[in-house]
Amino acid sequence: MTQLKELMSALDNAAKHPAQVINKCLEEKRLMIGCAPEYCPEEIVYAAGMLPVGLWGGLTSIKNANQYFPAFACSLVQTTLELGMRGVYDGLAGVIVPAHCDHLKCFGQDWKVAVPQVRFIPLAHPINRKLEAAVEYLKSEYSRIKSVLEEIGGQPISDQALSEAIEIYNDHRKTLREFTLIARDYCTTITPSLRHNVIKSGYFMDKLEHTQLVNGLIEELKKAPPEAWQGKRVVLTGIMAEPNEILDMFEDYGLAVVDDDLAQESRQFRTDVPQGTDPLEGLARYWSCMEGCSLLYDPQKNRRFMLKRMAEESRADGVVACIMKFCEMEEFDYPIYKKTLEEAKIPLLYLELDLVTPSLEQVRTRIQSFAEMISRKR
Amino acid sequence: MITAGVDIGSTSSKVVVLAEGEKILNKVIIPVGAGSSGPARAFEQSIREVNLSREDIKRVIATGYGRNTFTGADQQITEITCHARGVYELVPGVKTIIDIGGQDAKAIGIGKGGTVSNLIMNDKCAAGTGRFLEVMSRILEINIEDLADLAALAKNEISISNTCTVFAESEVISQLSTGTSREDVAAGIVQSVVGRVAGLVKRIGVQCEVVMTGGVCLNWMIIKVMEKELAVPVIASPMAQLTGALGAALLAFESAS
Ligand code: SF4
Repeated sequence: MTQLKELMSALDNAAKHPAQVINKCLEEKRLMIGCAPEYCPEEIVYAAGMLPVGLWGGLTSIKNANQYFPAFACSLVQTTLELGMRGVYDGLAGVIVPAHCDHLKCFGQDWKVAVPQVRFIPLAHPINRKLEAAVEYLKSEYSRIKSVLEEIGGQPISDQALSEAIEIYNDHRKTLREFTLIARDYCTTITPSLRHNVIKSGYFMDKLEHTQLVNGLIEELKKAPPEAWQGKRVVLTGIMAEPNEILDMFEDYGLAVVDDDLAQESRQFRTDVPQGTDPLEGLARYWSCMEGCSLLYDPQKNRRFMLKRMAEESRADGVVACIMKFCEMEEFDYPIYKKTLEEAKIPLLYLELDLVTPSLEQVRTRIQSFAEMISRKR
Repeated sequence: MITAGVDIGSTSSKVVVLAEGEKILNKVIIPVGAGSSGPARAFEQSIREVNLSREDIKRVIATGYGRNTFTGADQQITEITCHARGVYELVPGVKTIIDIGGQDAKAIGIGKGGTVSNLIMNDKCAAGTGRFLEVMSRILEINIEDLADLAALAKNEISISNTCTVFAESEVISQLSTGTSREDVAAGIVQSVVGRVAGLVKRIGVQCEVVMTGGVCLNWMIIKVMEKELAVPVIASPMAQLTGALGAALLAFESAS
């Protein structure tokens, strides 16, 4: 029991206080590279001996970033740039910025000017990702990033180091998949916010260490029999389910998170990087293997079926769409999966989230009424 | 058994005291809402007027925007569930509820037994809410209650932006200063609110009976224009702004029995 509590609090703390983890890294003189949302080839950073650090904004007000962004930019890019401009990320040796959406395209350009002290490393993924040419193109992008990292680190990155990094990351992915499955059976211990923090802490830790901690947590959880859950069960979809207060509201109203389809969480680890002789090619091919995200070009929109299956398999009472305000990518997908879920009679809640002006009381009303709605339904 | 529902909105506090889940013993509306002494005063008045004390009330449910800060309640339930229950009691055939409150607007789909099956809220913007009507009435120098009658006299209704109260306010001022009649502007204001809210309702799908609750449903012109916009009859809830408190009192009775 004490062991379980210690593991839970270590992971929870790392997510809540990333600065502590990062300071340790600074003391050890290990270089750190920021990875902006949503998908970065962290394995290359890791293979360079550096620590990839996830940059997912944070709850803050905007005082500087509005020089660069209009009010209708999503708060994920706004707050990340704001924190960058305040010097919060000055310890980083660089930041990789993908260009998945229009807001991220501007974000990269803005970063270059607004945070010149932290080197900007651009990354453009191919849209038509199923073509062989796309794999080839992305491999060339990754190869360029690899050269930049070699220059920053002052040493070459070997294929062997890359393959090892991929193995470590795939192992980490497998562990997190196992964690999300087991967490369903322990909804009282693994509250929605703890579940989120266990996953989120991985963005600030060495993946080897994180895998070890999460594996330890899984083992400890398994020692007790599965917990009976009297409340309702939901699946989350969207980019991310923050600010944290909203996850506490789920707990307040007896809602357990039994699975997720969030870009910050399961979308990062539900697919493994294919392993083979050419590690960079494997990483590039990974982009064409991933499915079910609003940022991945998919003319069939298979996400709707994945989501329906996920809700059914996890015996969820409903799905909550966590839509980052002004995120067009997610907004485009919403009516499509809404229709599928409605046809399957799976209740769906639309939650508009914002890291700058979170309007928490309104969010509370929505969550509470959704909880009342699915509780009175049966 | 006596139960009570306290609905604490942003601009008013409403209380319904109920006997045996059927007979309304008292109802009180005080025009101050969340964050004021209004909710407590309304509750005290509602029981004092019928010679009851807090001990006589078996269960109190608080609802509305200020439900979590009212200390006198046994439970808090959202206004969405309470409006659904209240309307279902008054109009059992209800399938769609439109609730225009002081700060927000909601479209609620009703399933079996008065349960909520779907809901959409506009809670980010004052356009399409009671606040919008209030601001506009002030510019027209009339009481909000007189807006419907003024709008009914319009000859050439004008169009007013329904996306932002601040923009709409300057739009109205400039219309008035260029000589547009107050009646035509009033009709434009009603149309603007209805257009905005009708958009919400269409998103959940319009199913009859459609019932409108909240204080705004007392504005007959809004109901009339809403019927035109949705192309179906719209019923004003017989208890208007007290519907949520009635629902809360009914839910209190059901959970205590
Ligand atoms: S949340 Fe949406 S808009 Fe913001 S960076 Fe991510 S994909 Fe782009």
